[in-house]
Amino acid sequence: MRQKSFCFFFFRKRRNLHPVLPLLALNGCALRGAPSFPIVGAYFPAWMLCALVGIAVAVGLRVVFLLAGIDALLSFRLFTYVALGTLAALALWALAFGP
Amino acid sequence: MGGRRRIGIAIALACVGAAIVAGLIVARWDDAYPSTDSAAIDAELVHVASVVGGRLTELPVRENQHVRKGDLLYRIDPEPYALTVRQAEANLALANAELANQRRLLAVRTAQAATARDQVTRAQTNRDLAERTVTRLEPLANRAYVPWQQYDQARVARNDAEISLGQARQQSAAAEIAIGDLASAMATQAASQAALDRARYELRQTAVTAPADGFVTSLRVKAGEVLAPSQVLFTLIADDAWYAVANLREITLSVVHPGDCATVYSMIDRRTPIQGRVESIGWGVLSADSAGPARALPLVPRQMDWVHVAQRFPVRVHLQGAAPALLRMGATATVEIRHGAACP
Repeated sequence: MRQKSFCFFFFRKRRNLHPVLPLLALNGCALRGAPSFPIVGAYFPAWMLCALVGIAVAVGLRVVFLLAGIDALLSFRLFTYVALGTLAALALWALAFGP
Repeated sequence: MGGRRRIGIAIALACVGAAIVAGLIVARWDDAYPSTDSAAIDAELVHVASVVGGRLTELPVRENQHVRKGDLLYRIDPEPYALTVRQAEANLALANAELANQRRLLAVRTAQAATARDQVTRAQTNRDLAERTVTRLEPLANRAYVPWQQYDQARVARNDAEISLGQARQQSAAAEIAIGDLASAMATQAASQAALDRARYELRQTAVTAPADGFVTSLRVKAGEVLAPSQVLFTLIADDAWYAVANLREITLSVVHPGDCATVYSMIDRRTPIQGRVESIGWGVLSADSAGPARALPLVPRQMDWVHVAQRFPVRVHLQGAAPALLRMGATATVEIRHGAACP
């Protein structure tokens, strides 16, 4: 139930506010249920999905920051983007599968 | 330029620090609220067999059918067992008749013993009379008032009476011993009764009923099959209690306690949470490091791993109120201890 309200929260009210959160929310909807995902007859663990989302978020932020000019402000870009991707993955894990 | 570089370093440090902190928090959560996707739905089994053998004559159940406790599952040809019951009944009747016979003989022997006792009394009286006669004749014979011949005859008669009394006593003692009792006949009767009870039990065992509510599985034969005693015909999955067996790593077991709430998902429908309660944690698994035949020397491998993978133990979770469609023995399941949709 918590994840369902989470979806409504982002879809109905804040759709245009943030480029990342709707993605998270979409995952939250798909995630309702067991922390294990069937793909062509095999079950993949939830942490694998979180890691993929983290990588996607890191790549996406890099594109967004380049377009917005924020990227020029950064130094140690590799560490920064890896940390941001890790944060996104952990946030998804904690929201969707945490206690 | 230097200012922008400092801002960049600050952002990088903040992001890395936040990621490390978040990682530690999630790791702690994960330790305190363990979950696993390596679980299976489990139930208890009964391997249905009869303790008697014979030809399968009646098989009213089908594969995958649900049966209730007490329903007839199959029947073995009862005829040989009914014949055994009749034989045992006849044996019991024989034993009863023999017991009555022995009772009559006992009465006869008791009467004979009484007669023998009376004979002893009679012999005693005769002996006493002969004794008194000898005593009376002795002074008369000494003074020649009666012939010596008469006194001699009286003494012989007394000796005869003495021997007769001894014989009567011996016959009486033998008759008392010969009375005996009914122990042998009664033991035979008890043995026949026990044999009859056993035959009746075996006759009842030709009808096999369901020991619990459940589902019939692995039934691949039809009526006509000949079964050996105790041969398993099929397996009954009891459906009065369902479990999920979750393999949890030993490092997380310290936070798992019997009675803890658990959220279980059967992958038959991964969207429906099932509430469960931790019932128990397995007390033993076979370890390759301590394996070896019993009574033999321990088998210790020479090579040694530097990195050891954590051992997992089966945690038994009792499922409560699950939809029957979600419960199939061996189905893949995920288990979340003390969190998840079913544990508010």
